Amino acid sequence: MTDKNPEKGYVALLGWSLNAIDAVDRFDRRYVVVAPPWAEDYCNQNGIPFVPWDFDRLNERSHELAHQLDEMGVDVAIPIFEETVEWAGAVNAVLLKNPRLLGQAMLFRDKSLMKRRAQLGGIRVGVFEEAHDRGDVIRFLKRVNQTLLKLDGDPNDPIHFKAFDKSGTAGHRVIRTPEDVDNIPDEEFPALLESHLDGWEFAVEAWIKNGKIQFLNISEYVTLGYSVFVPATPELEAHRDRITEEIEKLIEVFDIDFGFIHPEYFLTSDNKLYFGEVAYRPPGFNALELIERAYGFNGYQGLVLAFDPKTTQEELDAFFPKEIEDAKGHAGCFGVYPRRRVVSRLEIPEETANHPYFEFHELSDPREQKVAKRSAFGTHWGLAYFFGDNAHDLRDLLKKQEELDYYV
Amino acid sequence: MTVKDTSATDGQSGDAALARLSGTLDVAIERLERARPFAKARYQGPVLDVLGRIIAQPGGLGVVRQRAARMDAAGLFAGSDWDRPEVLMPQLVGGTLMSEDPAFQALEAANLARFLAVADGEARHDNLHQEGARHFLTQVLALNLKDIFGVPDEAARTLGARYDLKRKVLTHIADHVGLNDVLSVLVSEIWRLLEQRSVQVGVVKDMIAQIAIALNEKGTAPGSSRLGAERLVSALFGPTTASRDDPGIAVYLERLSVSDESGLSREAMGFARAMHDTGLVSDYHAAFLTWALEYGDRPLIPEALGLGSTGLDCWRHYRGLIENLVRRAVTPATPQAAYGLAMLLDRGILHHAPMVPALERQLALRIGGVARERIALGFGPAVSPETYLLAGVLRVLGQPLGVGQGANPTCQSARAIALWALNDPDYLLHLITQVAEFDTLLMQFEGTPINSADLPAGLAGTGPIDADPVSVLLVAHLDRIYAEMGRLCAGRPGDPHTWINPQFHGWWVSRDCAVAVDVATGKLADYDDFLRRFFAAYHPDYNGGRPMGHPQPAGIAVTDAQQTFVGWHAIAILRVAEDQSGRMRVYFYNPNNDSGQDWGDGVVVSTSGQGERYGEGSLEFEAFLSRVYLFHDEPLRSQFGQEIPEEVIRIARDQAISSWAADRQTG
Repeated sequence: MTDKNPEKGYVALLGWSLNAIDAVDRFDRRYVVVAPPWAEDYCNQNGIPFVPWDFDRLNERSHELAHQLDEMGVDVAIPIFEETVEWAGAVNAVLLKNPRLLGQAMLFRDKSLMKRRAQLGGIRVGVFEEAHDRGDVIRFLKRVNQTLLKLDGDPNDPIHFKAFDKSGTAGHRVIRTPEDVDNIPDEEFPALLESHLDGWEFAVEAWIKNGKIQFLNISEYVTLGYSVFVPATPELEAHRDRITEEIEKLIEVFDIDFGFIHPEYFLTSDNKLYFGEVAYRPPGFNALELIERAYGFNGYQGLVLAFDPKTTQEELDAFFPKEIEDAKGHAGCFGVYPRRRVVSRLEIPEETANHPYFEFHELSDPREQKVAKRSAFGTHWGLAYFFGDNAHDLRDLLKKQEELDYYV
Repeated sequence: MTVKDTSATDGQSGDAALARLSGTLDVAIERLERARPFAKARYQGPVLDVLGRIIAQPGGLGVVRQRAARMDAAGLFAGSDWDRPEVLMPQLVGGTLMSEDPAFQALEAANLARFLAVADGEARHDNLHQEGARHFLTQVLALNLKDIFGVPDEAARTLGARYDLKRKVLTHIADHVGLNDVLSVLVSEIWRLLEQRSVQVGVVKDMIAQIAIALNEKGTAPGSSRLGAERLVSALFGPTTASRDDPGIAVYLERLSVSDESGLSREAMGFARAMHDTGLVSDYHAAFLTWALEYGDRPLIPEALGLGSTGLDCWRHYRGLIENLVRRAVTPATPQAAYGLAMLLDRGILHHAPMVPALERQLALRIGGVARERIALGFGPAVSPETYLLAGVLRVLGQPLGVGQGANPTCQSARAIALWALNDPDYLLHLITQVAEFDTLLMQFEGTPINSADLPAGLAGTGPIDADPVSVLLVAHLDRIYAEMGRLCAGRPGDPHTWINPQFHGWWVSRDCAVAVDVATGKLADYDDFLRRFFAAYHPDYNGGRPMGHPQPAGIAVTDAQQTFVGWHAIAILRVAEDQSGRMRVYFYNPNNDSGQDWGDGVVVSTSGQGERYGEGSLEFEAFLSRVYLFHDEPLRSQFGQEIPEEVIRIARDQAISSWAADRQTG
């Protein structure tokens, strides 16, 4: 056990993530995991400090949790998943005696509110609208394509459909035709509709303390839902100053004093930056692990530093390396989906296995899986990890993986 | 970083790839090292993934070996059986190395690399000593010799890369451990098994064939292990002057036809010597016996069977029957029948009046229906089911204590067959006839008739097919009857074996029964009385010096080398006698295929060298008693245990309490 420093903050992790617990257990802050009761036995067996809690819809019981943590001496709550962002807001409003934090969290949890807030703050966003039923989606699809001066019969430009309160690619659909609209299940409404932006999609991970960016990583998407790598190519990193300005705008508009944000942007062909959405929690796709592989620091531990009110600037400066300069290489990962309808076993494609950038995979055995027809961006069967010196080679390699069969 | 063992042929690109993979492996190991114990599982997969690619590279195993101790300490084996190297079993390694799941292959390779590192003194492990590691690896090699030397068979070829990997790993180990060790371990293991004279010798014959290949292809330094190995190989492949060069049966028979009298005598004696030395029968021996049947000048069969005075006497009385038995039972597919026959004759049981007609009946027997199919399923079509069964009968009657249960939960049935073969051979033949002809067994339980054909399948389902022919035929029926007798005892207080054993086996099982534990609670009950009573019943110093007349079924609590209780097991006590050094020992029969077992705390069953006869296991009296939980005893014994000293009781009690009875004490 790492010695815990009683002078430093005591944090609560909201949500169950073994990776996060493992990282924080190795860090010098006291912590407690707040997760559903099914995790209790596991925590007892492994000496993990634990408070059982059911994170259903936010309700009056949030106060109960906040006071329980307050009595334990907890200083701040850290959301690990999208579903716990509003809980963290509610709890931190009490712990930090700052009621505004709950309202801020609600903005992060509602994609439509979030977008309007950004727009009001002067941040460039695409055309968007809220949809409460399929009729709204059809109308939006038609309007967008009329605007683009498409004639009847021309293929539609796609629109994006994102369930309000889902994270990442869950509930994210690309809609091209009215048939696509029919396939949307009822429970994904209400949703946010956005016009499609042709351009370079990327994400940012920013650790923030005292309203200042402490570390800013740019994650370049090769293909959304498939692959990402860090640090980005020199071509994208060339925009780092502008991107930094955009993040500072977000900090101002959303009144963010501390924590961690994970926004997504488009850089369009006319060199404009469009804001997509922002999350106040660690990104999916194990992006923190890629950052650790490239830069050597643990992102969850960085989260603790960014949230803990007792963290000093010296600690932050010592913890975070220098962006780009200190990276040992580029780390990327590829989410594998089976390409065939029927698969019987996992077999890493030979050219992948022999590629010097290929590191290892965490793919599950096909005997435990069924090939589901992909409608929304579904769940991949695991990730394959790559690491190398050249960002362009890595990008091309990740792209190439989309054509290879990992499951045969 | 130094990379050992890199093959020169692969050149630069191979080296570069290996160096890069080593770097990646280090990254994966570091992540595993950092992780808390509860998070290890997630980081094991990537390490195994990289390992899988490294071991496929030339020199990769060297890289793995260098990191083996570190990976172990990092937690690569955490949460798996491999985390306790001291309990791993060498016989499972070969299969895991060819697992369908590359992660298991990698795990096993990493495990072997760890053993290698410890064996070489490069690394240390708390629960694995240098000698232990070396011994384990030697056993792994011995059990997989054919994959090191042999030409891959069809089954191996279809496995492709999986088989190549296994071969590569084994060769790497062999390069480090050396094969001389392996041969000597293998040879002494085979001799140990042969001393027990099992009815089934297929596995032993396979191992000897592997040794023959090894000697032929690699050669080894001269030494005692080579001598022992050659003795085994020659016993199977060339035991006599005319067969020494393993010429093939056809050439060998030509040589016989031009041999002179003294030459034939030398052949016969050579075969007999090799057979009694090892218990194995060469194919040439079988061919010689068949040939000798037609040789008119003088009988060569008694010489070729190496008969002693009792056997020779039987030959003189029953020559016609014996010749018929040789003619019908000894074939190239069933050479071992010759050894069974030789031992049967020397037991003198042909002088037991019902035996000659019973064997005549066996010779005339036609196996019907289901029984016929089962024999064919178990042994194949090389000879008729009647021949397999007859050969099996000769082997079981000649080597009663060689009957084994195979990989089946049927110790009770195997024990019954062995005890009948020993004690009631004509009754055993009577049972065989019933099943062979009518596919049923009729018995009685305290007057209630039992017909096995009417009963549902027992523990062994439809019965084993990996046992000897007599067991293949009988066990399914015995098993059902045994279970039925158990049902008929339902509701009686106490252990049902009390009533079943005498009813199932015969009048000679003592009718009273002592049980160490209370059946309902599993706790010890009147344990000291139990121990005293055993002394009074079986120990010659305390039972009036009466030797045992008939073998007696008994139940033991089997424990493993760590003294942990494994389960209840059926054995038979055969005799109690002093060994060469004057210590009182219990000699017993264990239907398990290999009696030599370590039951922990120094209770190690001996199978030879302590006065054991073929097939017997033995323990010192107190040590044996410490594992007994049930035995039979004569009801007509007015007093027992009065003058047995407390200290001898205490020895047995303490050994029981420190093992299987640890949590069975009352109060």
